[in-house]
Amino acid sequence: MTERWQRILIILSIIGLVVGSWGMYQRLVYGHIPMNYGSFVPWGLWVAFDLFFLGLTAGAFLITMLTYVFRIKLLADLGPLAVFTVLVTLLCEFLIISMDLGHPLRTYRLLITPNFGSMLFWLVVFIVSMWLIYIPWLYLLLRGQLVAWGNDPQRPGQRFYRFLAGGKTTYTPAEQERDHRLCRYLSYVSLPIGVIFFGAHGAIFAILHNRPLWNSAMLPLIFIMAALLSGGALITFLAYLYQPDDKLIHPLGHVVLLILFTFLFLEALQIFVGYQSKITGIVTSLDLIIVGPYWWAFWIIHVVIGSAIPAFLLIRYGDNSRMVAIACFLIIVTFLAVRLNYLIPDLAVYKLEGLQNTFFHQRLRPDYVPNLNEWLVSVWVISLGLLTFLLGTRWLPVIQAGRGEAEHV
Amino acid sequence: MPRDLPQEDPLLRMQRDLKRALKKKPEDIKWGMVIDIAKCIGCHACTIACVAENKLPPGVVYRVVLEESTGNYPYVRRRFIPRPCLHCQNPPCTKACPVTATWKTEQGAVIVDYNRCIGCRYCLVACPYAARTSDFGEWYTGETPELPGKLFGRKAAANGYETQPAAEYGRKWPERGHGSPVGNARKCHFCLHRLKVGMLPACTTTCIGRATIFGDRTDPQSLVYEMIGSPRVFVLKEELGTRPSVYYLK
Repeated sequence: MTERWQRILIILSIIGLVVGSWGMYQRLVYGHIPMNYGSFVPWGLWVAFDLFFLGLTAGAFLITMLTYVFRIKLLADLGPLAVFTVLVTLLCEFLIISMDLGHPLRTYRLLITPNFGSMLFWLVVFIVSMWLIYIPWLYLLLRGQLVAWGNDPQRPGQRFYRFLAGGKTTYTPAEQERDHRLCRYLSYVSLPIGVIFFGAHGAIFAILHNRPLWNSAMLPLIFIMAALLSGGALITFLAYLYQPDDKLIHPLGHVVLLILFTFLFLEALQIFVGYQSKITGIVTSLDLIIVGPYWWAFWIIHVVIGSAIPAFLLIRYGDNSRMVAIACFLIIVTFLAVRLNYLIPDLAVYKLEGLQNTFFHQRLRPDYVPNLNEWLVSVWVISLGLLTFLLGTRWLPVIQAGRGEAEHV
Repeated sequence: MPRDLPQEDPLLRMQRDLKRALKKKPEDIKWGMVIDIAKCIGCHACTIACVAENKLPPGVVYRVVLEESTGNYPYVRRRFIPRPCLHCQNPPCTKACPVTATWKTEQGAVIVDYNRCIGCRYCLVACPYAARTSDFGEWYTGETPELPGKLFGRKAAANGYETQPAAEYGRKWPERGHGSPVGNARKCHFCLHRLKVGMLPACTTTCIGRATIFGDRTDPQSLVYEMIGSPRVFVLKEELGTRPSVYYLK
């Protein structure tokens, strides 16, 4: 990424923080009153963003899988960038879901009075596991460079890097080998954790037998593929920006294309089976997606811009890194529509005949559209995440640490 | 089922059933409710009684009355189905809660601990009957003006009544603001605070058609036990296996 683009994005993210701070003010001072979700659609834009951010963490998982399972060693160079991206997206996820909770300061209750039978409890366990894996992993990957930067008297913030390096001034090959060995172990651990983690997203919805559109054994698999698609697209896009090596981008582009087709196939299967089942609850929810008032979110944003155009670019211009990056960018920015289309339609269908005639209070209707305050909070979180990422890649040796990683796989 | 018309107000019998039930060991009581749809006229008095008893804010409703129209002209009927929390014997909502803030008591009522609930609203999503609502902190009297009071310097504001929450679960809750039950999932709890002092739930007492029967469903002498044995009995969404403790009579 050029210095100019970095500055532009930093300025944009600061503007986003300022603009979004109005929504944050509304949320922190007035609670949930200024928001549009209710009791019949209790999960709205922020939960969709939560799923979106959690999906983006799959980028690192994808790199790990390709590197250590499929032995595409060259992709290991993206390791530090991928791991750092995971931490930033986990931060965004944590912030946005905290805004959604009624009592976010009570999350310590998960430690004191856990319900081991709750899928949501286990999702939190795996999110914490991700933090516990990826923080030391990033540190181990960066340590060598931190020592080098701490020894560089010309570098601004040299003392800070020395502090981050734990005061170390030397970094022997033996220490490097030990750190890489530990990184390998962490990556092995991250593989099953990752599969369960992304599957657990889907399981939260899939186990609810009163939600006919969600209640399917296929949903965890769809969520895993959705995460791999959005996360893989993200890491490919970032690779183009920060390590534009055709030998990295082209295979990643092929992988993203394969995952895209797999995901679309599973989605089509779900829609086909849903309609064929002729179960009213499922058909009504699917109709909301396909032909409802927000049909354009599905057809135009997801199918055309987020799937057809990227697929065309990846097939036709698969050897052109720029086109691969554009395709991946389109997938990422439209993926929120995919998450919203999974979340809202089932919630937006009355589950009891006659409930539609009971109340007309805004909180007791299934009509939900995110309002400005919800969008502003989302903008604030995204801006914070973007700023953190930009400053992190600027001030930490995330890119530099990746060079030569393939030798250590 | 007895074929004679009742010789006394069912409320009196239910009151005696309640008194008898409260003499048992708590773990031997299993609360149940039967709602006779043939008697329900859709007056919504139960809804209002519940709102008044529990001082429910806007957007929070424990007991709704579903209204359905069936048939084609001229053979049209309207059917009213009061739907409190069904206090399922196999509740999907309690399994969903990540912090064990909601559970089924030994007496069969599904309750919420407002001080544990983190407000994730997963239980709302999990409930097949839309029986739970979330308290988002709204006020009926939110925009009414405040005036200095004439008595003892107190504010004579319209929201003075609303500021003090009801003593749900027999506890004194703090003034309405940001603390619980604001931000929590809320639901019908069979008016446990009334049961403790020997009073029937508000919806049962107020029902003008005596369509709502309440009592200990394990007591063979109780009216609710008798009603559950009726051939007209059904439960909502039986196929889900939730086994509600609230039964309906066709």
